[in-house]
Amino acid sequence: MKNIQHRTYLLLAAFILLFSGCEDHNLKQPREEASKGYSSNESFREKPPIDREFARELAREFGKEFAREFARQLTEGNRSVAFSSPLVSESERTGLTDENGNPHPLLAHCSEEVMEFYSKNPDAFAIESIEKVPEELDWQDGSDELEFSSSEAKKGGTWNVFMSDFPRTLRTIGPDANGAFRSYLLDYNALSLVMSHPNSDGYFPGLAKSWAVGKDGKTVYFKLDQDARYSDGNPVRASDFFFTFYFMRSKHVQAPWYNDFYGKDKFLNITLYDEKTISITFYKAKPDVVERVSIGPKPEHFYFELDGEFLKKYQWKPEPTTGPYVVSSDNIEKGKSISLVRQRDWWADQKRFYRYRFNPDCIKVSVVRDYNKAFEIFLKGGIDMFGLAKTEFWYEKIPDDHPLVTNGYLSKVTFFNQVPPPSYALRINSQKAPLDDKNLRIGFHHAMNFDLILRKIFRNDYVRMNSMADGYGSRSHPSLRARKFSVAQAVEYFKKAGYSKRGPDGILINGKGDRLAVELLTGYKPFEDVLVVLREEAKKAGLDLKLKILEQTAAWKTAGEKNHQVVFSAFNSSVELFPRYWEPYHSDNAFEEPGDSKFLDDGKLKPNLTTKPSTNNLTQTAVREIDQLIDRYRTEEDLEKITQLSHQLSKMIHDHAVFVPAWKKPWLRLGHWNWIKFPDDWGPKETRDYQEFQVFWIEEEEKSEILKAKEEGRSISEKPTVWTYDKYKNH
Amino acid sequence: MKQIFKLNPITRKKLRRFRSIKRGYYSFLLLFLLFGLSLLGELFVNKRALLVWYQGDLFFPTYTSQISGTTFGLDYQYETNYRELKKKFQNEDSGNWVLMPLVPYDPFEMDYTDAESTGFSPPSLANGHFCGTDKTERDVLARLLYGFRIAMIFSFAYLILTYLIALSVGCVMGFFGGKSDIIGLRLVEIWANVPFLYMVIILVSIMPGWWGIGWQVVSLLVIMVLFSWTGMTYYVRAAVYREKERDYIASAKVIGASPSRIIFRHLLPNVVSTLVTFAPFTIAAAISSITALDFLGYGLPAPTPSWGELLKQGVSNLRIAPWIVVSTVGALVTTLTLVTFIGEAVREAFDPKKFSTFE
Repeated sequence: MKNIQHRTYLLLAAFILLFSGCEDHNLKQPREEASKGYSSNESFREKPPIDREFARELAREFGKEFAREFARQLTEGNRSVAFSSPLVSESERTGLTDENGNPHPLLAHCSEEVMEFYSKNPDAFAIESIEKVPEELDWQDGSDELEFSSSEAKKGGTWNVFMSDFPRTLRTIGPDANGAFRSYLLDYNALSLVMSHPNSDGYFPGLAKSWAVGKDGKTVYFKLDQDARYSDGNPVRASDFFFTFYFMRSKHVQAPWYNDFYGKDKFLNITLYDEKTISITFYKAKPDVVERVSIGPKPEHFYFELDGEFLKKYQWKPEPTTGPYVVSSDNIEKGKSISLVRQRDWWADQKRFYRYRFNPDCIKVSVVRDYNKAFEIFLKGGIDMFGLAKTEFWYEKIPDDHPLVTNGYLSKVTFFNQVPPPSYALRINSQKAPLDDKNLRIGFHHAMNFDLILRKIFRNDYVRMNSMADGYGSRSHPSLRARKFSVAQAVEYFKKAGYSKRGPDGILINGKGDRLAVELLTGYKPFEDVLVVLREEAKKAGLDLKLKILEQTAAWKTAGEKNHQVVFSAFNSSVELFPRYWEPYHSDNAFEEPGDSKFLDDGKLKPNLTTKPSTNNLTQTAVREIDQLIDRYRTEEDLEKITQLSHQLSKMIHDHAVFVPAWKKPWLRLGHWNWIKFPDDWGPKETRDYQEFQVFWIEEEEKSEILKAKEEGRSISEKPTVWTYDKYKNH
Repeated sequence: MKQIFKLNPITRKKLRRFRSIKRGYYSFLLLFLLFGLSLLGELFVNKRALLVWYQGDLFFPTYTSQISGTTFGLDYQYETNYRELKKKFQNEDSGNWVLMPLVPYDPFEMDYTDAESTGFSPPSLANGHFCGTDKTERDVLARLLYGFRIAMIFSFAYLILTYLIALSVGCVMGFFGGKSDIIGLRLVEIWANVPFLYMVIILVSIMPGWWGIGWQVVSLLVIMVLFSWTGMTYYVRAAVYREKERDYIASAKVIGASPSRIIFRHLLPNVVSTLVTFAPFTIAAAISSITALDFLGYGLPAPTPSWGELLKQGVSNLRIAPWIVVSTVGALVTTLTLVTFIGEAVREAFDPKKFSTFE
């Protein structure tokens, strides 16, 4: 027995040695060498550069990560020093520097690295004299637009809301920044140059007091508001808009999407004229160019320049904001809550469009991880507002005859809005057999019983979406309707596609004996019950709909690789003037082969094309006529013609039968305690989220009254407080 | 037929003793009766009729391929709705009749016959939803029954597979001893330290999408087995160590029996009898973990009826549909209690203190 024990210890010791040996080995290898291969002899034969040697020395003492970072920075630092000098001559042309190489006064505070970035892109960044601003411009200042808030609004109080998880960072860009809390920092708070008016197609001033579109239709001129200030007291400078591009295109922020969005190919030029006048040139003269170039500034005095430390350095350091609410480290309870406090002397506090908004003194965002628990807290008054879009919440969990509602403590609100809905739909991969047959796709449309779902699961609260471009006003097709559920029609089209006989399980089979089975992929577990209904109903039409409900990441990856037959998904559409067709329907997003080279002379697709992964063309639509129309649509600059083309495209895509529209909700629904007050028409037309425009206010005295009445069980309203605002309802 | 495993008298004695422990024995009979019934569930809980008498012909739709509505003079080609057919025949009074099962619903079908119904109908004797319906008007009792069947089959498969692996690994380690024992045991220890639930969740979530539902169930089973066989190997190893020192093994060796003969004819039957004591608890563990996984959303793919999925629905709608939680928890508690009673009885019957004899 003792012998065995002995041997065990020996063995264990050997294991430990072996593992620790490996560890040690790793330590000695910097990343570059490790990536070449695992043969250690090789990497030792090469003589490493001195800084790496130094890094290794450090690694032995401090740990490999730190050392690798250090080594990387050393090499990079050397590189930038080597490259900086030859560029000085180029920058002279752009007005960024004077003859002596000193920066223009507007850029006097810039760091060398930032200056270098500007001068490397002489076409994009320019400084001109103020006389260069064209005189005949039609300056707008939004004074003809109406305010959308209420003059009865009162300042004060704390607004209690919840988030499902504590943010992993207070940065608004970079890894982990895309969480729910970012909305409180950016969307609901910070200002951009101009803001699009949520009740009309116009704009109202943001950081720019007035703006004008140049003759070319691509350049927009802005006069900045003299008062505009960041929350740390520094003024918003014209050069901050230069800096925005340095910031957004930097690789240090680790945000490819932003790198691309603010890319050279979209923003052709930014020019500073004086302290308060700038112009931005977009790549195309779109009707909504003002909105497209209306960016928000990045505070250069705060960042100065970016380096590899950016992510770590600003992880918990909130950026000064141009908006009313400020996060400071005193108001963060890690893991529990973050409070945003309204600045006492916010620069836009008394300005039109802002004076009656952003009313609460404080927004307290608490972490409640479980949605149902958050709802219980709401019912107790710990959270002021709660979205009630889900049917079971609206009808069962807080019905109209709930005592809180009948006694008048709490209101239930339905507000009809007008925004492009998230595009919930089944997207059919038109390149996957048997769905490459159009008849079969049309049959599939008719076999989907969305009517039943709308009636039974959504209780007629949601309505059927009719085309892939709903919600864009006159740009949406006026008369297209989604194909209705009909067993007879479905069976007829399936028959045309060769599936005419019913098998023993009632599923149709074709001449070859193949069953009509189609796989439906999705990552939306909450909609499982909906899909189960679709599946059961499709059986009636002889279609076996196989459900594949995966985790979000796994599902979207499969769909991204275009390995699906049908995918159930939704894309969020931002409030835009006209729908996008290129991303989801152009053949360039279906196959790698560019443009017309995919097609044979007769318009059919060539065989063996390479599928293009990770695009929004989940239907793998590749039709020459649709391509041609989309190309025209994209270059068109006249709104009238854009509208016409949009209708044509919607119709063609409908006929191509690859998009089975599901549903949309034409409203937003919420519950709120009655100490929260809203304007007479509740909110602006384009509200998609009850927190968005912040037009409500808090009556603090009423709060204590309501809570007292609730304690005593005393009713304070004669009828249930249930309200519907249908001013913007489409009839 | 000759017995493959010859039970030694001690084992036979143990079984006799088990039978004499009434609580456990009746639990055993009851559970297997329930399981047997669930295997024939289509006869009791089904949307298809048991018998249809139509114009002089008798139909047995339960286990046949589906019969389209046109067969019975209805205007649709898809599968006959027998509940409606029954009403139709009753109204017509033409001598045709339909005999429906006790619960005329299957676990997948949404009962949207009532125009007002929008999910979560409370239990009712009148319409045959004895345990109410779930969110999409599926019968809770039907889902419970078929969920039970799947859970039981799943846990039996799980039991057999884990024991197979545990037996072979344990036997090898125990019988051959020495190096194979030391190395094997270390490997088992390392493997046993991999957290079971996390691994299952991780592996299930990265399962490739193109796998069908059948494969997903099988792979879930394989994954669960892979990360949970280790516990039993220790017992097998110990039992083998103990048994192989006994006289009958020594005699077998003396006669010249080969190692495989000794393992399969002599060791296994007696080692298995030790394992039997753990079997009910393994079943209970399997049922709870498949329910837990389903509850978390990592279990059987939709729309497979499962208790975990029912529990999840029930918990998130506790206020509006308490019958889901009540019936599911009731079923779960009953099953697990029965299994535990069996386990206790088996353990008592097999208690070595009562049978060990030293020579």
